[in-house]
Amino acid sequence: MLAIYKREIQSYFFTASAYVFMGVFLALGSVFYAVGNLAAQSSDLLGLLWNMGYLWMLLTPILTMHTYAGERKSRTDQLLFTSPVSLTGIVAGKFLAGVTVLLGAVALSGVYVLVTALYGRVYPGEVLCGYLGFLLQGCAFLAIDQLISARCRAPVTAAVWSLGVNLALWLLDVLNSAVSLTLVNRILSALSLYMRAAPFQEGQLSLANILYFVAVIVLMQFFTVRTLDARRWSA
Amino acid sequence: MITFSGITKRYGAAAAVSDLSFTVDRGETLGLLGQNGAGKTTALNIMTGYLAPTAGTVTIGGHDLMAEPRQAKRLLGYLPEVPPLYDEMTVRAALRFSCELKLVVAADIPGHILEIADRTGLTDMLGRRVGNLSKGYRQRVGLAQALCGDPEVLVLDEPTSGLDPRQTAEFRQTLRQLAQGRTVVFSSHILSEVQALCSRVIILHHGRIVCDRSLRALQNAEGLRLRAEIQGDKKRLLPALRTLPGVRGVTALPDAAPGVVSVLLDCDQPPEKALFDLLCGLHMPLLRLQEAQSSLEEIFLRLTAEG
Repeated sequence: MLAIYKREIQSYFFTASAYVFMGVFLALGSVFYAVGNLAAQSSDLLGLLWNMGYLWMLLTPILTMHTYAGERKSRTDQLLFTSPVSLTGIVAGKFLAGVTVLLGAVALSGVYVLVTALYGRVYPGEVLCGYLGFLLQGCAFLAIDQLISARCRAPVTAAVWSLGVNLALWLLDVLNSAVSLTLVNRILSALSLYMRAAPFQEGQLSLANILYFVAVIVLMQFFTVRTLDARRWSA
Repeated sequence: MITFSGITKRYGAAAAVSDLSFTVDRGETLGLLGQNGAGKTTALNIMTGYLAPTAGTVTIGGHDLMAEPRQAKRLLGYLPEVPPLYDEMTVRAALRFSCELKLVVAADIPGHILEIADRTGLTDMLGRRVGNLSKGYRQRVGLAQALCGDPEVLVLDEPTSGLDPRQTAEFRQTLRQLAQGRTVVFSSHILSEVQALCSRVIILHHGRIVCDRSLRALQNAEGLRLRAEIQGDKKRLLPALRTLPGVRGVTALPDAAPGVVSVLLDCDQPPEKALFDLLCGLHMPLLRLQEAQSSLEEIFLRLTAEG
């Protein structure tokens, strides 16, 4: 697993993927910060994190499009799947590498906290809680999009499908606000990656929501392993 | 070392390979022959664990590939038809990654890389990016990756495909050296390559084995075939040769030189004594007599046509 992790990290940083991801993430994040905090003279970092949560749906496909679909297209998957490393090890290594890039981007966004702390008041516990939700939300999108990458044959197809699914997940929230049926509202709220992140951005540390995100990640990883294994039988 | 037992791989209703059963002994070099679509690559992909069979079992060094994949795959080095290379990596990084995948002890990796690079002629290329290498060197990097971890079994899928004649000759020379002390299975549709490198041949046709023999046995099974060059008159000679005991057939070849008749004799038994007696009687001197084995190409074409 460690070998896979190291190679994935190298791949992200030897190619443009990580730089494009972090660059666009910070550029758009800075726009949110400039408009929502600097121009508005607000130290509300939780609001910033809530808005930045929408960046995941746009940007995680950049990180995941090559994860499996790229390997399949270039046939380097033959090297991985004929090696003594287990499928679980491969999937975990690739996911952790993606999380590392995600963490790097999140760490760089800490500059907004520093600037705010210089000119305003920052509540560390509240901000850490917000960041936890923000990161868990990003990891969930990463796991979903890696599963999609495992199901695709070409990176561009994987990116388009990932973007489509991410947008569909966001549209669940739009649908939720448009429908007024209690049962439907409850189900959609329970499934929404945004509604589940909302309490964190209100400073509420909720074990149920942490478990929800962890469950989504583990489930997606499990399905990714099953998808890769199924390909050996049907490919 | 390798056991294939009743291996079948189906894609829907179509079978890519059907009921393949064979063993490969330690140290043996096996050539897998077949036309395009005969099932060679599928068989090799199953042998390396990249594909799972619909039915049957594969064992490598006594380890079932499905039940004990980790132990079985540690014994394998695989060079697919398209070498699995990461273009953005240097050759050294690619080999390091392969060593790590093969669970080589970290402290041994630098020395192991140098040794493999030396054996595959990549020593001067270690710092180069894989994406910038020629096809011949990419193939060598693929082979070097397969050698990481010093596997007992090397599986190579059409390893010289796409190489120019010089690269092919160099690559074959490298393969010949690497095959020493290893079990090697490789597929090819270049029959001369199989003839040059293998001790045993399996011919696949429509996913089934139509021939599994040592190269020597395969050629001997074709019966004794002699090529003779005789000075004399063709019109008198050919009918006389057909009367020789033990000679099944006489095929006239283009004349070797003016007045020198060249013939192929298909024989059930060695006809040398009767031949000498006949030619002495005809006053036609025998200039040359040598064994002419059927080429693998002839055997292959006949078997795949019959299959």
